Amino acid sequence: MIQLSYLDYIAVERKSFLHRLSPKLKIIGMILVLFVIVTVKNLPGLFLLYVILLTLFFTARIPAKIFSLTLYPLIFTILFIFLSGFQIFFILLIFLKVLCGSTGVVLLLASTPYPSIFSALGRVLPSSFVMALFLTYRSIFILLTVLEDTQHALYLRGGVQWKHPWRSLINIANAFGHLIIKGIDASEKMYESMVLRGFRDKIHYRRE
Amino acid sequence: MSHIHFPDGVLPVWLWASGFIVAIVIGAVLFRLTKKETLPKRLPLLGMMAAIMVLGASFEIVPIAYHVNLTVISGILLGPSLIFLATFVVNVILALFGHGGITVIGLNTLALSIEGILGYFLFRLFWRVLKRLTPATFLATFIALLFSTFAMIGVVSMGTSHYEELIHQEGKGIFEFHLSKEKGGHHPGEAAEEKVNLRRFMAIVLPLGFIGWILEGVITSLICRYIFRLRPDLLHLEKETL
Repeated sequence: MIQLSYLDYIAVERKSFLHRLSPKLKIIGMILVLFVIVTVKNLPGLFLLYVILLTLFFTARIPAKIFSLTLYPLIFTILFIFLSGFQIFFILLIFLKVLCGSTGVVLLLASTPYPSIFSALGRVLPSSFVMALFLTYRSIFILLTVLEDTQHALYLRGGVQWKHPWRSLINIANAFGHLIIKGIDASEKMYESMVLRGFRDKIHYRRE
Repeated sequence: MSHIHFPDGVLPVWLWASGFIVAIVIGAVLFRLTKKETLPKRLPLLGMMAAIMVLGASFEIVPIAYHVNLTVISGILLGPSLIFLATFVVNVILALFGHGGITVIGLNTLALSIEGILGYFLFRLFWRVLKRLTPATFLATFIALLFSTFAMIGVVSMGTSHYEELIHQEGKGIFEFHLSKEKGGHHPGEAAEEKVNLRRFMAIVLPLGFIGWILEGVITSLICRYIFRLRPDLLHLEKETL
């Protein structure tokens, strides 16, 4: 989540063929990737899709640093190893489905600025839902700044130490409590500034 | 624990599609019930609480790979109708970062909102009965998480036949493909062993879940106490007793 701002920076800053492509086309592409993931149940088909996505990833000048993000969801597939009774075919199938999905999403987010994604979504989804999505995404950036300060304060109070579990739990809870209160204060200020800028019940996204 | 970390293409289409339909119907009903004037005013708060839930989900407690959901505390602060929309948004963002598949968003919203809505009502109930903040929050969180974990197990068990089909479909599909295993060379005992083992799944999920319910119950109670000390108005409680 910390890499979110870097992802957004790449989406705005880089100028590859994928960055220049219309957001609408990229969202349709992502839906196609999802369709393949859901319908294709054989390894070569999924492997082919993964190779295509990897080629797009490296030709779109997306930094290799971001690549680790596509591997993160593999953590959650460990349960499937137990669920399947260690069936190698099933495990490989799941791993490829996960990798295709995550690489597709990272490609979309690293090549499209988020206001453009929300603008495209706003044309097909209910405006309240897209607004909630946009404000949540925006709030993550605000909270990440608060979190940085909170982390310093947390370290000064002993941080998280497994030798002192109760104190650590209190520190974690206080950090989240602080984050919630700061967040609520920021949301009240955000609403006031939105009203001052003419917000009534809809956000108008800037188009490219 | 109640968040279904299933990737896309694992659950049967009928299951995730019906999850989406039910979630959209409930969302539409709750949206109708919410006053039109209050929704735009509360959207920034909803966004902020959803962002806190997303951040909570991204911090893993290392030895047991558990992350806090913070759905109950968000439910207490947002109320039952807004928490549903908030969990929907949270699941969309988490799915974008590979925390569960995009097709599982509907089912995840239902499982997580059980936690938020039940947590809200249980917290009110226990507060009225016990008049003590910490036990009321702990019990509300523990019970809400227990229910939502069983809802998640129920969802997983509904797709059992589909996982078995996936496990045993080597060689089917667009391309003929064989791994080293020979076709038809299974012994009867081996076939039974290859079936999806839900008992094994539950044996892993429930003990870990139990630790998680206690951990999240304690953290939520401490957060609630912290908020009560600084901004008691946010909790909308009648009497100020700790």
